[in-house]
Amino acid sequence: MRQHIALIALLGGIPVALGIWPIPRSLETGTSALKLAPDFTIELNVHNPPADLSAAVSRSANYIKTDKLEQLVVGRGASNSSAVSRAPQLKSLTLSLEPGSTVHSIMDEAIKEIGTRSEEYKLDVPASGESATLTANSTLGLLRGLTTFEQLWYDLSGDTYTIQAPISVIDTPAYPFRGFMLDTARNFFNVSDIKRTLDAMSWVKISQFHWHVVDSQSFPLQIPGFMEVSQKGAYSSSMVYTPEDVQDIVQYAGERGIDVMVEIDIPGHTSVFSESHPDFVACAEASPWATFASEPPAGQLRFASATVKNFTAGLLTEVAKMFPSSIMSTGGDELNTECYAQDPETQATLKETGQDLQQALSVFMQAAQGALQTQGKTPAVWEEMVLDNNVTLSNDTVVLVWISSMDAAAVAAKNFRIVHAPSDYFYLDCGAGEWVGDDPEANSWCDPFKTWQKSYTFDPLANLTEAQTSLVLGGEQLLWTEQSSPANLDPIVWPRAASSAEVFWTGATLPGGEPRNGTEALPRLHDVAFRMAQRGIRAIPLQPLWCALRPGKCNVDS
Amino acid sequence: MVALIPFPLLLGLVLLSHGARALWPIPRSLTTGSSAVKLSKTFAIHVDIAHPPQDLLDAVARSTSRLQTDKFQRLVLGGVSQDITAVHTAHEIKSLILALTASAPVRNLSEEATMAINSRSESYTLSLPTHQAQAILTANSTLGLFRGLATFEQLWYDLDGTKYLLNGPLEIADEPAFPYRGFSFDTSRNFYPVSDILRTIDAMSMVKLSILYWHIIDSQSFPLEVSELPYLSVKGAYSTNEVYSEQDVQQIVAYANARGIDVIMELDSPGHTTAISYGYPQHIACANKSPWATYASEPPAGQLRIASNATIQFAKTLFGSVSSKLHGTMTSSGGDEVNLPCWAEDKETQADLARTNITIEQALDSFIGEVQGVLKKNGKVPFIKSDMVLTHNVTVTNDTVVVVWQKSADAPAVASRNLRLIHQPSDYFYLDCGAGEWLGADILGNSWCDPFKTWQRAYSFDPLANLTEPQQHLVLGGQMPIWSEQTDPENLDPIVWPRLASGAEVFWTGATLPDGSPRLGPNTTSGTQVLARLHELRFRLVDRGVRAIALQPKWCVLRPGDCDL
Repeated sequence: MRQHIALIALLGGIPVALGIWPIPRSLETGTSALKLAPDFTIELNVHNPPADLSAAVSRSANYIKTDKLEQLVVGRGASNSSAVSRAPQLKSLTLSLEPGSTVHSIMDEAIKEIGTRSEEYKLDVPASGESATLTANSTLGLLRGLTTFEQLWYDLSGDTYTIQAPISVIDTPAYPFRGFMLDTARNFFNVSDIKRTLDAMSWVKISQFHWHVVDSQSFPLQIPGFMEVSQKGAYSSSMVYTPEDVQDIVQYAGERGIDVMVEIDIPGHTSVFSESHPDFVACAEASPWATFASEPPAGQLRFASATVKNFTAGLLTEVAKMFPSSIMSTGGDELNTECYAQDPETQATLKETGQDLQQALSVFMQAAQGALQTQGKTPAVWEEMVLDNNVTLSNDTVVLVWISSMDAAAVAAKNFRIVHAPSDYFYLDCGAGEWVGDDPEANSWCDPFKTWQKSYTFDPLANLTEAQTSLVLGGEQLLWTEQSSPANLDPIVWPRAASSAEVFWTGATLPGGEPRNGTEALPRLHDVAFRMAQRGIRAIPLQPLWCALRPGKCNVDS
Repeated sequence: MVALIPFPLLLGLVLLSHGARALWPIPRSLTTGSSAVKLSKTFAIHVDIAHPPQDLLDAVARSTSRLQTDKFQRLVLGGVSQDITAVHTAHEIKSLILALTASAPVRNLSEEATMAINSRSESYTLSLPTHQAQAILTANSTLGLFRGLATFEQLWYDLDGTKYLLNGPLEIADEPAFPYRGFSFDTSRNFYPVSDILRTIDAMSMVKLSILYWHIIDSQSFPLEVSELPYLSVKGAYSTNEVYSEQDVQQIVAYANARGIDVIMELDSPGHTTAISYGYPQHIACANKSPWATYASEPPAGQLRIASNATIQFAKTLFGSVSSKLHGTMTSSGGDEVNLPCWAEDKETQADLARTNITIEQALDSFIGEVQGVLKKNGKVPFIKSDMVLTHNVTVTNDTVVVVWQKSADAPAVASRNLRLIHQPSDYFYLDCGAGEWLGADILGNSWCDPFKTWQRAYSFDPLANLTEPQQHLVLGGQMPIWSEQTDPENLDPIVWPRLASGAEVFWTGATLPDGSPRLGPNTTSGTQVLARLHELRFRLVDRGVRAIALQPKWCVLRPGDCDL
C-alpha cells in the first residue's frame, strides 16, 4: 500500500497547493521544484492512435501552455522563484497503453455500458526531469490521466512549474456514473453553452451528461419522423436541437470521456405535446395549474390510450437511434392523478379496457421500456415509478433518486440500481427564491441553497446494507432551469458541480479511508474555480480572494 | 412643475393585454392608446437648445445608436410576425425634439446629476402623438431630458430592423418620488475591473438609478490608490493589477455622472480596515488576530486605532485626500460592525484611552467628529451606517445621512433622531443573501441573511413604513447592495440583474404604484403586470450584453399570469 503523503500533509494543516480535483485514489508527492521545458511535448506511444486521443493530447498541451494559473497563496508563488529558476526541466510526458490493451477511440470507451468502462490510469512525474509517464488500459484512462496532469502546474513569470515533484498517481473512480443534469426545456441553451459545459465537466472527470432535453414548457428536440412535436413545441424555430446538433453534442461529449443519457420525461411533464397532438394530452394547460401539475403548465400524456402508447413507443425508438449511449431515461416524475381523474377521455378508455390507472400505467411503461430495450438501451426512470406506482419495470432499470436522499434505501430494497440525484444535496437551482408569480414572500421549494460544502458531505452508501452497496452506480448534480438561462449557466453550476464529481470519484471516504473533509477540499476547489475561470468558464468565487490565498484563515473556527 | 395627468387614465395601462409593458420604472403618469407607431428610416433626435452641453449631445448620440442596434423583440405568444401588418401601416415618427422649459438653465448633465441630493430636477414630459411626425421631450433640466431619453428607448420593439410600438399615442409626465435611488457595490472582497463597473453603470442608467454607492475598500483588500498614502494600495491591494488608480476613479465618476449617476464613495471605518495594516500597521488594532470571530464580524479582524492621535491624523489625511478629489456632494465613512473586544485587548488603544482618560465610546465619538469635520471642510454631506447612531449613539452632524442596513425596522429609530436616511435593509435588499455560507469548515451553514431576496420581496418594500407623516421627508430613498464575498466579475451580472431594478422602481414610484395601489402583496392584482414588465427589462438587458438571469421559464414569459400562484 502506498502512503498518501500529500493528504497527510493537507490534513495536518500545512498549506499544500496541489490542485487535483477529484483527488486521486492514490497519490504521492514530494517537495522538489520541477518546470516544463520550453519545448515540452506530450508523446503518444500508441500504435494507430484514434483521432480523439490525438485531439485530447493537443488540448492538454494547449491548456498547459495557456492556463497561466498562479498558485493561490499570498504572493502568488513568488517565494518559489529561486527554486523554480534552478528546477530541472521536464521535456516530455509519454502516453502508452498497458500491454495487451486494444485500441479504441475515447468515445467508444466512454459510451460502453456502465460498469464495463475502464477509467484507471497511472501517472509518474519524476523530480529529475526524466520523461513523465502515463499508462492506462484504455484511451479513456489516458484521457483521465491527462486531465490530472494538466492540474499539476502553476505559472510564475512564464515558467510552468510544480513544487511537489516527484508526483506519482494511481487512480480509478469509485463509481462509473458521475453525472451532471441540464434541463434545456424550461429555458433554452445553445449548443455552444452545452459544449462549454461538457468541457468543464471533463476537467473534473464527470462521465455522464444527463440531458433533460424536453418538458412541459418546450420541446426543443427535433426527432426524425416526429418533427411536428418540436415544430409546434419549441420556443421558436431557432430554439431547437437538430439531429445534427445532437450528433455534434454526443460526439463532443464522447471525445471528452462523457456519455450522454437523454431523458424524454413521460407520462407527466408533457403538456407541450398538446401543441402538436392535442388529443394525446389530458388537462393541457388546465387551470388552476396547481390542481393538475407540480408547476405550470399542466398536461400529461393520455397513457391509457393505445394510440398514445404506440405513438410514444415510436417516438422513443427514434430518439434512441439518435443517441449511441447504452442508457436512456423515460423520466416518470410527479405524475398527477387528479389530471386523469378529471379527464373524460382517460376515464372512458379505462372503462372500455376494464383497467385501473395503475394497470394502464404498467402497460404503458412496458411499451416504453420495450422500445428502449429493442434499441439496446438500459432504461432509467425517476424514483416515483418504483416507489409510488405499482408498475412492472425491467429488472435492469436504473432508478434516479431525487425527492430525498432518504429514498435510496427504499429503491435498493426493491433491488434496483441507483443513481443519487437527491434534491436535499444536489439541486443546483434551490435557494434562488420563488419563481412562480404573485408570491412575493415565498422561497424556492427546496430551500436552502445547496452549498458545495453540503453536496460534498453526501455519502453514497448511507442507509444501505453491505449487500445493497453494489446497486449504487453513482450520482449527479442537477440544474433545473426555471430561473437559469445561458446568462447564468456557468455561475450557477461551477464550481459547485465539482463537489459530486469528487464524491463519486472517491466514494464514501477519502482514499486513505478517512471521511471526506471540506476543510481540506476548499483550497483545491478554489484551484478548480480559478482554473476554470482561466479557461473561460464563469465559475463563481467561493470566498473573497483574501481567503483563497490563505487556506484555513476563513474557516468558521479559525 | 410639470402637470401630472390624472390617475384614472393610468388604468389604460394596467388593463392593456399587450404593448405598454416596456417601461421600467413605471412613469408616475402615463396614458397610452392602441395605435401602431414606428420610427422612420430617417428618424433623428434634435436638440432644440441653444449651446447644448456636450454630455447631453453624447447621451443623444448613444440613444440614437441604441435605437438602431437594439434587437429586442416583443415577448408575445405566437411570435412577432403577427405584428407585421400593424407595423406596415403604422404612423411614422420622423423625429424626437428635446427642449428645456422656458426658464430652465442650460447646465451639463453631469453637473445636474451631482447637485445636492434634494435640489435635482429629474422630471420630464414625453409626448408621442399619432397625428404628427414629431415626438416631444421636455424637461426643466438636462438631467430630466436624459431620464426622458431612457424612457423613450424603452418604448420600442424590433421587427427586422424597424422599431415600433403598438400603444400610441403616448403621453408621459414623470418624476421620481425619491432622489436617492442607488446601488451599493463592494469592490474589496473581490476585485472588479473598470469595465465591469462601467457596464453596471450603463445598466443602472437604463432603470434611472441615480447613485453608485461605491464600497471601494474593506478588510480584505484596499484597491484605491491614494497619492498621499501610497502604501494603502501598494501593500493592501490584491495585486498591482487590482487597483483603481486616481485616473480610473476619475474616469468612472465622469462616466457615471454623464449617465445621470452620482458617485458616493464609502471609506468604511473605523471597522473593516484590516487591509490598511499591510501598508500602515501602526494604525490597526487586532490585525489578522485569531480567532477572527472574537474580533470581527468576518475574517480578517482589524480596526483603526481610534484613540491614537496619529491614527486620527492618518484618517483625516485619508478622508481629506479622497474627498477633495471627488466630484459630488456626498461621502460616506461607513461605520458598521465595530468590534469592542478588538480595542479592549489592544494594548496601544488601552494606553491611549488611559492617557486621555476617556472611554472607547467617547473615543469613537471623537473620531467620527474628526472624520465628519474633514468631510464638511471638503463640502461633503457625510453618510454613516446606522449602527453608529443606533448601537453606539455617536454624535453626528445634523446633515448626516444614515444608511439603515441591519433591518428595515430600524428606520423609525433613525427618523426619531431627526436624521435623514436611506433604506438599505438586509431583510429586503441584500443581493448576496441566500447563496450559502462562504466561511470554510461550516458544512451545513447558510448565509447569515437567508433567504435569498427575490425581486418580489425587494419590490414589496414600503419606504414610508412605520414613519410618521412629519418624518417622511427624512427619507431620501434607498439602495440595494451587493457584498462580494461570493461574487466577482464572473457572476456580477446574474446576481445583480434584473433584481436591482426592483429597488429602482420602488424609489422612483414611492410607497405605492402611481395609481395609489400597493406594488405587491396579498391583496394586489398588479403583480402579473409588474412581472411582465420586468421580463421585458430583463430581455432588454440581455440584448445589451448584461447577463441578467431568467426570472421564469420562457413559457411563462409569453403568457403573463399563467404562472402565477
